[in-house]
Amino acid sequence: MSIKEGEFVLVAGASGSGKSSLARVLSGLIPDFYGGRFGGKVYFQEKEMRAIDRRKLARQVGMVFQDPEKQLVMNGVEAEIAFGLENLGLPQKEMFRRVAEVISFLGLTELRQEFTANLSGGQKQKLVLAAVLAMQPRVLVLDEPTSQLDPVAAEDFFNLVKRLNEEMGFTIILIEQRLERCFHLADRVVIMEGGRVVQDGAPDQAARWAAGSGLSLIPPVARFFSVLGFASLPVTVKEGRRQLGQLLSGRPLSGGPDLRKAPASSSAGQTPLLEVKNLWFTYPNGREALQDINLKVSAGEFVAILGENGSGKSTLLKNMVGLLQPGRGRVLIKGSDMSKNRGWHPGRLVAYLSQNPNDYLFQDTVEDELLFTMKNFGMEDDGIVDGLLKELQIGRHRRVNPRDLSSGERQRVALASVLVTRPELLVLDEPTRGLDYRLKAGLGSFLAGRAAAGAGVVLVTHDVEFAAEYASRVVMMFAGRIVSEGTRHETLGQSVFYSTQIGKLCRGLCDGILTFDEAVERIGPLLSGITVARAGTLK
Amino acid sequence: MLDKLFYKEKGLFLQSLHPLAALTYLGTLLVLALAFTNPLYLLGILLVVALAIRAADGLEAWESYLKIALFMMVLVMIINPLVVHAGKTVIWQGPHIPVFGRLTVSLEAICYGAAMSVRLLDIISVFCLYNLIVHPDKALNLFSRFAGKSVLVISLATRMFPAMVREMENIRSVQQMRGVDFRKGSAKEKVGKYSSLVNILLLSSLEDSLEIAESMQARAFGSGPRTCYSRNLWRPRDTLFLSGSACALGAGIWGLLHGFGSYTFYPQLDYLISGPGTVALLLIVLFSLSIPVLIGWGCGRWHYLKSKI
Amino acid sequence: MVKAISNDKPNPMLKILFPLFLIIILGLLLAGIKQENFVARQGWGLLSAEIMVIALAFFYWGFEQGRASSREIALIAVLAAVAAVGRVPFAALPNVQPTTFVVIVSGFVFGPRAGFMVGSTAALVSNFFLGQGPWTPWQMFAWGLAGASAGVIKMICPGIGTRGMSVFNVAWGYLFGWIMNLWFWTSFIQPLNWQSFLASYAASFWFDTFHAAGNAAFYLLFGVGFTKILKRFRRKLIIRTIEDQAGSLPD
Repeated sequence: MSIKEGEFVLVAGASGSGKSSLARVLSGLIPDFYGGRFGGKVYFQEKEMRAIDRRKLARQVGMVFQDPEKQLVMNGVEAEIAFGLENLGLPQKEMFRRVAEVISFLGLTELRQEFTANLSGGQKQKLVLAAVLAMQPRVLVLDEPTSQLDPVAAEDFFNLVKRLNEEMGFTIILIEQRLERCFHLADRVVIMEGGRVVQDGAPDQAARWAAGSGLSLIPPVARFFSVLGFASLPVTVKEGRRQLGQLLSGRPLSGGPDLRKAPASSSAGQTPLLEVKNLWFTYPNGREALQDINLKVSAGEFVAILGENGSGKSTLLKNMVGLLQPGRGRVLIKGSDMSKNRGWHPGRLVAYLSQNPNDYLFQDTVEDELLFTMKNFGMEDDGIVDGLLKELQIGRHRRVNPRDLSSGERQRVALASVLVTRPELLVLDEPTRGLDYRLKAGLGSFLAGRAAAGAGVVLVTHDVEFAAEYASRVVMMFAGRIVSEGTRHETLGQSVFYSTQIGKLCRGLCDGILTFDEAVERIGPLLSGITVARAGTLK
Repeated sequence: MLDKLFYKEKGLFLQSLHPLAALTYLGTLLVLALAFTNPLYLLGILLVVALAIRAADGLEAWESYLKIALFMMVLVMIINPLVVHAGKTVIWQGPHIPVFGRLTVSLEAICYGAAMSVRLLDIISVFCLYNLIVHPDKALNLFSRFAGKSVLVISLATRMFPAMVREMENIRSVQQMRGVDFRKGSAKEKVGKYSSLVNILLLSSLEDSLEIAESMQARAFGSGPRTCYSRNLWRPRDTLFLSGSACALGAGIWGLLHGFGSYTFYPQLDYLISGPGTVALLLIVLFSLSIPVLIGWGCGRWHYLKSKI
Repeated sequence: MVKAISNDKPNPMLKILFPLFLIIILGLLLAGIKQENFVARQGWGLLSAEIMVIALAFFYWGFEQGRASSREIALIAVLAAVAAVGRVPFAALPNVQPTTFVVIVSGFVFGPRAGFMVGSTAALVSNFFLGQGPWTPWQMFAWGLAGASAGVIKMICPGIGTRGMSVFNVAWGYLFGWIMNLWFWTSFIQPLNWQSFLASYAASFWFDTFHAAGNAAFYLLFGVGFTKILKRFRRKLIIRTIEDQAGSLPD
């Protein structure tokens, strides 16, 4: 494999496919930092990488990692940017110039005096990029730089990277698993699987290959057209809309939007599983995080709460599970007020999964992790441990230290450790962060299965695609209030920005479609005639 | 509260100082407070520090420091009279106690206790002033020239602290939802629950430390001798500060060697003012020390002065 | 070819200087109890502060002299931050906090130099948020010494065992308080005799007892677990590179 100067290479693959290791090889961290068994050679500008002095290499290749939280070293923004320069041993004057340059290029002027620990995730990642750019590398290796960011910050970051590539001529190697946002940016897409490069070529070529091999690595738009049998696959919404518009022109839209209602709630007369009544919440520092929230969740419902950072989503969750006490209003679980009933613990009825599965893991084995929760509630193992481990596909790790597992597996262990009490309500805080397509699909169907079995599921997410795919109801929050609530078609279908890629594709052309399956189901038959004809002409 | 530094940037004159000048000034105050025993001198220093704290807009922060000081001051006032038998003017004689002998409370010991509690107040206030006017980064930056690695450790730990406090809260929530009740249980059980929080935090943080190291490595850390980035500027005001501090320190030491500034409590109280020299020296020291307050006050008044120094 | 980089080789000079320096400091302090002393003219309040600052500087100098990889720096910072967070009151028990315990275990596993850095950094960093005071340097010194001494204990008797370490933890509960008291005693009490020493130390007795009891409880409950975690992690600090000749992977 070889990469030319000025190229924008996207490396895609499921987690565990070896893409991060490849990134570390390219930046010289493997084998220098990690050690291990190493064979073969890497050449940079016709020199063997391992023979290049580390200092020289760092001036040529810069690397940005996944989690900004774990990359910042200094307290001040300026000091952070200067850190790499100090390591290179640059003179004071040169450092001033470079720091100033990078700060103004990335628009960090206002943050110059900030304490880095208090920046937002997006700002932190931008700062990390700034610190790397200050070293003026020619190649940037980005290892899933947006996996911990919300969509807006991620978009921002990608635009920046694109500018760096197009305007400044940086060579960019981007490792990603969330492809819908960056597929179109790349000149070249490399797909990895099981530690090997299985496909290497232009984006549409890669899209076709991936569609053929059945991997869900490509963005939904491309996947949609590939399933319909198109030869040229659009990778952006714009291209897709053009194609779809041409195809559909003059054709009748099938029967108008069919707003599929959630299964008619048979429990209308019963007490809902969870009821939030006129809830207000103010933090001790005076910030009014929740304003007059009303929400009902019945058994069997799957509710997704969307909203930007600081809109109060997580605060609402914590109020629901009893970790925070409402200022005004009430939270009722099965009709009983939690705050009134001090001796009663919600944990038995409500399972709560926080953002970071690492917060759960401290026992020596996966099994102990589950038993720990049961012991706290004074429960006996009646086979539920076996059942859960099997259901979550971590049965074979039963006696393994959970800290030795991958992040997807860790999340499942954490989930299992709160599900052992057979809770009726599941509350999850951004469970899809950092998961790849495959793991996300697994989690989604697991949760949907739980809902179907009669549990209530409430989750907070930034992932519109995920919400559209699995949730029966979507709630949108903004600045501490619920601004929209209804079935996913009611809420997401009407939104221009909070919509899925397929939704954006079909908007106006064929309303009421949000997910890939729906699109295939509804538009598929409509187009089948044309596609066959087109395929014929193309041949 | 714990995700913010104690220091607050307010753009004040005193906060604009070069860390070397600020630290020298504070160090001088500290040394003089520990060296002088004459109550007048100690009170004078307290006055200067109080004015400086006011100039640094820190009366509120001072209050919390005074609360801590109060407890210790009471202790000083009690212990001194109880254990010291050297005073001549005995006010009260108590019963015989095994270790300490006969309890005798003398006027001299009470006065000594009082003077020492002023000294305590001095020292605590100087540290309060330090918190108000020196940004931790600036001070660390000063040392990073000759102690780069230590400073790096400190600033890395400082950056992680707020995140860890938040993380700890999250872990606590999670444990609570898993059925751990932190309100209940004996002391031993509480310690157990608490340390499993620390345990989880430790496990996660150790994993993180590898990633941090990787990021440092990728930015060429340890690839050779480092240089040091510093944005601290040396202004005329810093020179003034430094000379003021040097003057006060010099005068103080000279005074101490010649018997001014120290005070004899035992066996009998000395005169507070033993001659004109005592007053003169006191005035010199106080004047040199109050330069910052004066300039700060002047800068607030006259823009011209501010632009010149 | 197997290349193992291990970077925890203390300088032989340091090994000798370390205890020597401690003895000198202790000697100075003991000598100070006698009033007629050439250095005592400046007052013991000032002098004790000077000695402590010199000792701190010496320890830091020792750390600067040694080689430290990015992994070690990150590790020490993380341990220090964890220890510092331990000072945030969670359990409603007075003066029971895991800081000393974390520092001691860190020193025990990673050696005196790392132990000192963890302890002193924890004190300094937590005070950036809680407020620096005259107590800061003394806390840095006391916790630093706790970490360093744990490392020394490991060198002297590696097989000390849980019981021995529990005693060590209890001892540091009191020692910590006593070092903190030195400042109070030397600066504000006169004369410095054993009665006044006893009186000022009696005042903090209950605090220190809580501290010591907390340390013991932490160690008995979690000492072995913590040590295991850290030892497991220490193995990751050593990097091994095995080079294969192009493509031929030996099995």
